[in-house]
Amino acid sequence: MTAGAATRGLPVEFSGLSKNFGTVVAVDNLSFTVQPGRVTGFLGPNGSGKTTTLRMLLDLVHPSAGTATIGGRRYHDFENPSKIVGAVLEATSFHPARRARTHLRMAARAGGHDDKRADEVLELVGLTADARRKVGGFSMGMRQRLELATALIGDPDVLILDEPSNGLDPQGIAWLRDFMRFFAGEGRTVLVSSHLLSEMAQTIDDAVIVSFGQLKAQGTLEEITSGVTGLVMRARSPEADRLCAVLTEAHVAFRRLGHDEVAMDAVRPEQIGPLLAANQIVLYELTQEGADLESVFLSLTAGLGFGQLAPRP
Amino acid sequence: MINAFRAELIKMRSMPGVWVTFALAFPLAVLICVAVLAGAGGFPGHTFYFVQTLRQRRMLLGAGYFAIEILAPIMGVLCVTGEYRHKTITTTLVLTPVRTRVLGAKVAVVALWSILIALLTLVAVATVGLPWNAALGGVTSTVTDQVGAVVPGLLASAVLLGLFGLGFGTLVKNQVAAILIVIGGTLILESILIALARAIFHYDLNWLPNAAGAALAGDIARGFGGGGGGGRTFHLLTWWQGGLVMLLWGLVPLTIGYFTTFRRDVT
Repeated sequence: MTAGAATRGLPVEFSGLSKNFGTVVAVDNLSFTVQPGRVTGFLGPNGSGKTTTLRMLLDLVHPSAGTATIGGRRYHDFENPSKIVGAVLEATSFHPARRARTHLRMAARAGGHDDKRADEVLELVGLTADARRKVGGFSMGMRQRLELATALIGDPDVLILDEPSNGLDPQGIAWLRDFMRFFAGEGRTVLVSSHLLSEMAQTIDDAVIVSFGQLKAQGTLEEITSGVTGLVMRARSPEADRLCAVLTEAHVAFRRLGHDEVAMDAVRPEQIGPLLAANQIVLYELTQEGADLESVFLSLTAGLGFGQLAPRP
Repeated sequence: MINAFRAELIKMRSMPGVWVTFALAFPLAVLICVAVLAGAGGFPGHTFYFVQTLRQRRMLLGAGYFAIEILAPIMGVLCVTGEYRHKTITTTLVLTPVRTRVLGAKVAVVALWSILIALLTLVAVATVGLPWNAALGGVTSTVTDQVGAVVPGLLASAVLLGLFGLGFGTLVKNQVAAILIVIGGTLILESILIALARAIFHYDLNWLPNAAGAALAGDIARGFGGGGGGGRTFHLLTWWQGGLVMLLWGLVPLTIGYFTTFRRDVT
C-alpha cells in the first residue's frame, strides 16, 4: 500500500480488544471506530488503558483478545507503515547523543524516505534552528515536537498521538491544536489521547471515553456533552417565584439557583420560550448550556451518571 | 530489510560507544604488535626482534584479534541494549514493526561494523607493526605472504564475535550485565573453566566461545594455538568446527532472546 489520495483518511477500528497483564485487566473488550477527516479524542483517567490500547494498535503490545486495525489491516501488515501511520507515543524515546536531524534521518531511512524529508519535518515543527543540537539537551516541549516530526516523516494518513500536549508551552499547544485540525481537514485521521479536557474540548470532533479499560461513551462532542445530562436552560427573572410556579405547572424540572435565577433541566429553547411568553414572564437573561466535557468525563469515569449513554460498539 | 539496515547503520554511526570501540581498536592492535615483536627474540634475548617463525609472522599480521575479541562483542551488545537503555526501541518498532526484520538488520550492521573494526586493526599492523618489524631487520613479504591464511579467519571471527555480543545483548537487555557476561565470561570465567576442566577432568573445553573463536582464527589467537599449560597441548577444534560453534554461540542466545525478550510487549 502506498500513500496518496486513495488512502487518505483510513478508519481505525478496535474490535473486542482486551489486554491482561497477569491478573490486571488493562483493556477490557474495547470496541470503537475512529473516522477519517475528524479529530477523535481518546479520553480517560490515568491507568484507564489508553496508552496500552494505542500500543496494541501499533503492535508494540500484543492483545490478549480482539483486533485493532487501520483501514482493515493490522499495523505490522503494512510494508512501510510510516507512510500510513505516524505515532507520537512518548517524548523520551531518543538517544541523548543523537542530533535531531540524525534522529529524523534515521526515521526517514527506516521508512524508505529521502533524507531531505528530515529537514522538511524539522521546519514543520519549528526545530530547524536546533537541527544540529543533541537531543539530550532538548526540553520536554522540544522533544515532543521532535517526536511529532518523527511521526510525520512519511506524511502519513493517520496520526496517533498519546498525550502530545505534555511539556508543550501554550504557544505549542495552540500550534498542535491547529495542526491537528489542519491534518483532519485534509481528510486524514487523528486519534489523540489526553487527560487535558479543556484543551481537548477545543480541538476534537469526536470523543471516546474509557475508564478501567472499558468504553464508557463514544460519539461526537455534542452528543456526549448533551447526552449525559441533557441541555440546561438558565433564566434570570425579577419574577422568579412566578416562573417556578409556571414551570411546576408545566412539569418542567428546575432548580432555583438564586433569588432571581432558575436552571431548567432537559429542555430546549423551542419549548421554554413560548411557555414563558404565554405567561408574560419578564426575563433579564435566557441562556442555553450543555454539560461541559469535563463534567461528562468526571461523571462517566467515576462510574456515575451514565444516564442515556450506552457503550457503542 | 534494506530500509531497516540503513536505519541501523545511521544509529550505529551516531552512538558514542561505537566510536569508543573504534578508537580502542587501533591502540590495542598496536599493543599486541609490541608484544609480538617483544617476544619474537625469545627469552633471554633481544628486547625486540623481528618475527621469524610462521606462527610469529601470523601473530603479527593478526595482532588485531585481541582487540576484536573484546570490542566486537561489546559493539554487538551496544547495538541492541542501547535500544532499551534509551527507550528508542519504541521508535524502532513503530518504524519497523516486523521484529525479525529489525533483528536481521542488526545482525547485518553488527557484522559490517565488526569487519570495519577488524580492518582498522589491520591498518594498525600495516602502519606500525610491519614498518617496525622491517626496521628490526624483518622482511615484510614474509609476513604479508600470510594474508590469505590470516585475514579471512580474522574477519570471520570478527563477524561471529559481534554476533555473539548481539545475541547476549538481545537475551539480557541490560547493557552493563550483557557486557559483563560477554567480556567477563569469555576472558575470565572461560579461562578458569578451561583450567579447571584440564586439571580435574583432563578435558579440553574447546567449545567455549573464546576457544572456538581461537580455532576459527587459527594461529593468530592469543593463548591457545601453540601449547597451553600443564605440559599438554590444548586441542582446539578445527577452524570450521570453531566457526560453527561460534555461530551457535551467537545464534542460540539471539534466538532465545528473540522469543523471551525482543518479541515481548514494549510498554
